[in-house]
Amino acid sequence: MNVQHRRVMMRTLVWCVFIALVLPLIPYAWSSLENGAVPNPGTQLWRDVRQRDGAIVGSTQVSGVDAGVLISVYGERWRHYRMNELVPYGAYAMGGVLAFIGLYFLVRRRMRIEGGRSGEKLLRFTLFQRWVHWSTAALFLLLALTGLVLLYGRFVLIPVLGPEGFGTTAEVCKWTHNISGPLFIVAITVMFITYLPGNVPAWHDIKWVFKGGGFFGGHASAGRYNAGEKAWFWSTCLLGLLLGISGVVLLDLITVFGQGRDFMEFAHVIHSVISLFLICFSFGHMYLATIGMEGALESMTTGRVDTNWAKAHHDLWYEEEMAKRSNKAQRPGSRGATGQVAEPDAGT
Amino acid sequence: MARMKFLCDAQRCIECNGCVTACKNENEVPWGVNRRRVVTINDGQPGERSMSVACMHCSDAPCAAVCPVDCFYTTDDGVVLHDKDICIGCGYCFYACPFGAPQFPRDGAFGTRGKMDKCTFCAGGPLTDNSAEEYAKYGSNRLAEGKLPLCAEMCATKALLAGDGDVVADIYRERITYRGSATLAWGWGVAYGKQGIRQGGGLEGRSSEKPE
Amino acid sequence: MKLVRKQPSNPAPRAASHAAHTPERTMNRREFLQRSGITVSGVAAVSALPFSMVKKAAATTEPASSGETKQVRTVCTHCSVGCGIYAEVKNGVWTGQEPAFDHPFNRGAHCAKGASVREHGHGERRLKYPTKLVNGEWQRVSWEEAVNEIGDKMLAIREQSGPDSVYWLGSAKHNNEQAYLFRKFAAFWGTNNVDHQARICHSTTVAGVANTWGYGAMTNSYNDIHNSQAMLVIGGNPTEAHPVAMQHLFLAKERNKAPLIVIDPRFTRTAAHADLYMRIRPGTDVPVVWGMLWHIFENGWEDQGFIRQRVYGMDEVRQEVAKWTPDEVERVSGVPEETVKRAAKLMAENRPGTFIWCMGGTQHTIGNNNTRAYCIFQLALGNLGVSGGGTNIFRGHDNVQGATDLGVLSHTLPGYYGLAEGAWKHWAKVWDVDYDWLVSRFDREERAGEYFGEEGSDAPTIDAMTQKGIPVSRWIDGVLEAKDKIAQKDNVRAMVFWGHAPNSQTRGPEMKDAMEKLDLMVIIDPYPTVSAVMSDRKDGVYLLPAATQFETYGSVTASNRSLQWRDKVIDPLFESKPDHNIMYLLAKKFGFSDEFFKNIQVNGDEPLIEDITREFNKGMWTIGYTGQSPERLKEHQQNWHTFDFTTLQARGGPAHGDFYGMPWPCWGTAEMKHPGTPNLYDTSKSVAEGGLTFRARFGVERDGVSLLADGSYGKGSEIKDGYPEFTADVLKNLGWWDDLTDDEKALAEGTNWKTDLSGGIQRVAIKHGCSPFGNAKARCVVWTFPDPVPVHREPLYTSRRDLVEKYPTYEDRKDFYRLPTRYESIQAKDYTNDYPLIMTSGRLVEYEGGGDETRSNPWLAELQQNMFAEINIVDANNAGIKAGDMIWVEGPEGGRIKVMAKVTDEGIAPGVVWLPFHFGGHFQGRDLRDKYPKGSDPYVLGEACNTAFTYGYDSVTAMQETKCSLCRISRA
Repeated sequence: MNVQHRRVMMRTLVWCVFIALVLPLIPYAWSSLENGAVPNPGTQLWRDVRQRDGAIVGSTQVSGVDAGVLISVYGERWRHYRMNELVPYGAYAMGGVLAFIGLYFLVRRRMRIEGGRSGEKLLRFTLFQRWVHWSTAALFLLLALTGLVLLYGRFVLIPVLGPEGFGTTAEVCKWTHNISGPLFIVAITVMFITYLPGNVPAWHDIKWVFKGGGFFGGHASAGRYNAGEKAWFWSTCLLGLLLGISGVVLLDLITVFGQGRDFMEFAHVIHSVISLFLICFSFGHMYLATIGMEGALESMTTGRVDTNWAKAHHDLWYEEEMAKRSNKAQRPGSRGATGQVAEPDAGT
Repeated sequence: MARMKFLCDAQRCIECNGCVTACKNENEVPWGVNRRRVVTINDGQPGERSMSVACMHCSDAPCAAVCPVDCFYTTDDGVVLHDKDICIGCGYCFYACPFGAPQFPRDGAFGTRGKMDKCTFCAGGPLTDNSAEEYAKYGSNRLAEGKLPLCAEMCATKALLAGDGDVVADIYRERITYRGSATLAWGWGVAYGKQGIRQGGGLEGRSSEKPE
Repeated sequence: MKLVRKQPSNPAPRAASHAAHTPERTMNRREFLQRSGITVSGVAAVSALPFSMVKKAAATTEPASSGETKQVRTVCTHCSVGCGIYAEVKNGVWTGQEPAFDHPFNRGAHCAKGASVREHGHGERRLKYPTKLVNGEWQRVSWEEAVNEIGDKMLAIREQSGPDSVYWLGSAKHNNEQAYLFRKFAAFWGTNNVDHQARICHSTTVAGVANTWGYGAMTNSYNDIHNSQAMLVIGGNPTEAHPVAMQHLFLAKERNKAPLIVIDPRFTRTAAHADLYMRIRPGTDVPVVWGMLWHIFENGWEDQGFIRQRVYGMDEVRQEVAKWTPDEVERVSGVPEETVKRAAKLMAENRPGTFIWCMGGTQHTIGNNNTRAYCIFQLALGNLGVSGGGTNIFRGHDNVQGATDLGVLSHTLPGYYGLAEGAWKHWAKVWDVDYDWLVSRFDREERAGEYFGEEGSDAPTIDAMTQKGIPVSRWIDGVLEAKDKIAQKDNVRAMVFWGHAPNSQTRGPEMKDAMEKLDLMVIIDPYPTVSAVMSDRKDGVYLLPAATQFETYGSVTASNRSLQWRDKVIDPLFESKPDHNIMYLLAKKFGFSDEFFKNIQVNGDEPLIEDITREFNKGMWTIGYTGQSPERLKEHQQNWHTFDFTTLQARGGPAHGDFYGMPWPCWGTAEMKHPGTPNLYDTSKSVAEGGLTFRARFGVERDGVSLLADGSYGKGSEIKDGYPEFTADVLKNLGWWDDLTDDEKALAEGTNWKTDLSGGIQRVAIKHGCSPFGNAKARCVVWTFPDPVPVHREPLYTSRRDLVEKYPTYEDRKDFYRLPTRYESIQAKDYTNDYPLIMTSGRLVEYEGGGDETRSNPWLAELQQNMFAEINIVDANNAGIKAGDMIWVEGPEGGRIKVMAKVTDEGIAPGVVWLPFHFGGHFQGRDLRDKYPKGSDPYVLGEACNTAFTYGYDSVTAMQETKCSLCRISRA
């Protein structure tokens, strides 16, 4: 066959194929041109049901939470949040904070009291205040630990304990968490009332923040509580309350206003974000209160602090206390600001 | 290996609740727990459609993903089951499930959530097949006897299909072909003048108030 | 609680749940597995699976358990579809329920009720022991004590007031043998005051349809709908009332593209699947049907040939239909012309089409007009006697068809023989008792006017034996009406509620009074029912626990006239007894048990069921209940898998050629082996093959016009034209008399096809290709009815006062089924100011009938926990009602009920209120739970809608008017 023939044949073949492919599409195109493509009438209905355009709730004879909802897309969104965001980022956050604290410690070491201990003591926290702090702290730790077990245990503990072993552990943790939660709400409320005096923000707190708590710009003045402590106080109390409330919602003891799953998911997001935030924050608090700073822990264990420590970290409070003492000293037998009779050689 | 699936043909579902009671019957599910339910959209209006829904035994099950104690497992057939002995009743699987399949009897202490219960595709649970303990905890294990879930077997109009995903898909495809919806979607119906009574594909009832 | 089970020897497993749905053109792998796997043991069945789905190697490695699991074949006890069930029983305990994939009616499918029947084996809320009400407290008594006391009381009442003062209210839940026995029992007791649910369900259908063409039953079958090219459902909601029937409707819809037309005041679940939905004002069926027919006549769409050959009186109908112009139709029913025309066109263009109806059409004062209008519509289109056509009447309870056929009715004997002397003589022969003795059992007036009417009048004396008894819809009037206004000796003084609840009848407050006036109430039922709690009686009430149909065996007739055999699943629970046992005990007490069970073997207390079947086989010639012997029935039961899904005919197997259940008429004796008649009036088949002509029931000619078929006859008929019914004389005239055997001749001499106990007349007629009952035209004019041609009349309590003048109701009557009956005196008053809304009722899929049985099943009760009223949002807003509020629904006769409001946009029209009727146990706001015997109260209680429903009775059958009354609503 010569080239000419081949060319013609090729061309014919191509045309045939083209026609064979295009021809069947013509009626379809025709109908689309005519009056728009005939849509599948069910498309809109099922689209609505899948809640892309607007939620449709159906009806059902079965009673139960969300029983009328055919498909809930929020579940997938929540699953993505918990598994792909909360779990990894929470771990990073905690890890990051711990790493930072570790680094800080390696660099800075334990912050010593300026000028060493004076030997004189000043009452900072009463017995009642310490009780409140430690009970709340204990509850917080219990809740944090059990909560972390529930969040991360699956990845970390199952290899160690096995599925049944971990199941039992998780069950125990869940019960502990559920019982401690409401107790924590009570505790944090008491803590709020107890520690509110002195925690009200003041102007000097801003200066303290700008000075980085004394990191740069020289000494930063602080009252009874510095800005950092105030932040911690307000965080734990307000956020902690929210945490508790969201936790009670998650308990689902009473489906309060017929809340559906989307509300529960919302409660869970609040609960998980706040709890991880507070846990990270608590690392800072616990570090500073113990290893990080000399003279800090005894304030909450014995209730008394060294006056030099007080001068260094809470100078305004120290001055107030000294002023009160001297007032009292002028009137023997009178009770000082701390409610105790001023002792001549207090602290020796 | 056959992959087990459910499919509910909304064109045939008549909300008779046969599937719901069949499940109750076969698994002796107590009052208050409903593994399967029928949801009706647009009740009482043209375009009313019903669908029977229970656990859909997802390939990538969200419930299994979020479970804090990892008590879910997928069998070789693709059936998603869980271990009630490990379950702590936290409710996360219920939040994550698009279909609301997990159910919680309120028999925990203080009326809290008890162990999660859900459709097992009539495949029981991790205990010995067809043992009394398995039945008490999880209900019937029909798959081990070579049968299929009773809800689908008893569906009044064969709307609910269950079984090997390929076979179910074949059956449904055959139905669609018979109904002619495929041509409808492509516009053949218009081209060949089959408008009129079949245009709605039966998906919209016509009320006396609506003009044609 | 299920016990450990071994692998049951089950039908082979399937690759997917969906059993073969295709009409049997080819046998696919599934069917092959099913059919071949029936008798194969579990292990082999498992290994035959195409996919290795089973984790364990074989179930026989299971730990062996004590006791085998038995597989029992039975039939659901709920609706008339008659779904097959495999019950698994172990050690006498009902442990499992398996779908019957091979059953020709349902193919394993069930609705919520069918899927939960196993709960009958739990029976936690059952009536457990015979119980007696003493001083307002329920006391347990023994059967002996109960039967003795009841018997003594009844005999005393009989002595004082006559046998008609005891009302025997029977049940649609009896199996055929029990139903037959029940009618016989009432006859031996000596009264026609016997009835059952059919009266308030499809009585107008039976009367209307039978008077049109001979038999009043479903003409085709559920399965035959596969061949329909169009389906019209009026006043019916099969998705809730007959869900498995929807399987068949869907096949027609999908395979044949058959349009589904739904005519209903409410947008039901059936309407949701309809191609055309027509909303009508309740009670306007005739205008709508005549409206459709108007278009059909107008456009010449009727089947002229069919009408000429097989229909009488269509011209009179044309005259009536001409009045129903589109404007008039719209004015009366609210349906615009375009919709009516469309419906008519769809039915006309898609033939054969089937016409389906239920209570929406029957429960009216003009119910018999409605049903006849439906028939005439199908006659006009020529849709009768063809596969895919017909009037497919969906009956209610599982054996309402059987109970109707076997005559548990106040106006007839078994087999629709009527109550004339001839009928009694026939049955006396069958029962093998002296006719005169039977006569002596009944009451009669000594002289005219003694019981009723003027003394010494010229009116004929009342002979209670040949007079229709009081129907169940009116039993309360039998109690409350003044004695001299009732056409019997005395009031009804004792009521026996045998498998029949009271909350399905109207006028609740009056019913309470009636119950309190009675001397004696006996309730024989598996559950106490509302009868036990409705009244404030302190004594004189006995509750006798009856066994369900799963605790006994026998035959049952589905709506399509097929008889099915049930096997016994479990022994009677607690101290319950099957109905026939109880009848034996009572018969013994009354002293006629020997005569009664003359030809029926009694073992202990239990009459042998098979003997009872054989006895009615001996006598039910009119409708052909004669060929279905126990042996043939059992054979059909064992071979479900051999029957074709669409034609219902067995292909191969022991029952080859038979139609499943030998749908009646199954002519002749069992030896003749007639296959049954799947589609009535089908002339394309010979009678021997199941074909049929229209019955020559109304005479040979009228006004000079022949009533016999004109040139239309069955296939193979030797008479090629219409012919009258066959008698011995007719046979002789035709020269066929000698085809009878000598034995047959002996019995057949002087009889006709209905009274010939040999069955020879039928056999010979069929041998020559003829229908034993003749070959006539169907008639559109029933000259014996109040309205010969069906007309529209407004309901008694109508919302359209402007139409009353043109479409008034009937005149009041003095003696209708023995009672004065009001029509116009009620319609005369205008209630619309105080009661502006139309009140109508219907069904729910989870419950059935009076509801105590299904509300005692926790699996069902959980799904419908509240009685409710469905109201339109406009009416709700006008009354200040929100969804979920408790409201009062009050009827014009003072009955009021407190229910929850369900508010809908389009589900129901403004001005109409819809109520489900299955609830009971609350009465006018009062909770009666404490009044139930302890442990027998249903889980869910609610108001009975019929407490608020009103007076109104069909002009032919005394069916109650529960589909259109009036009401008002207010917040509770």
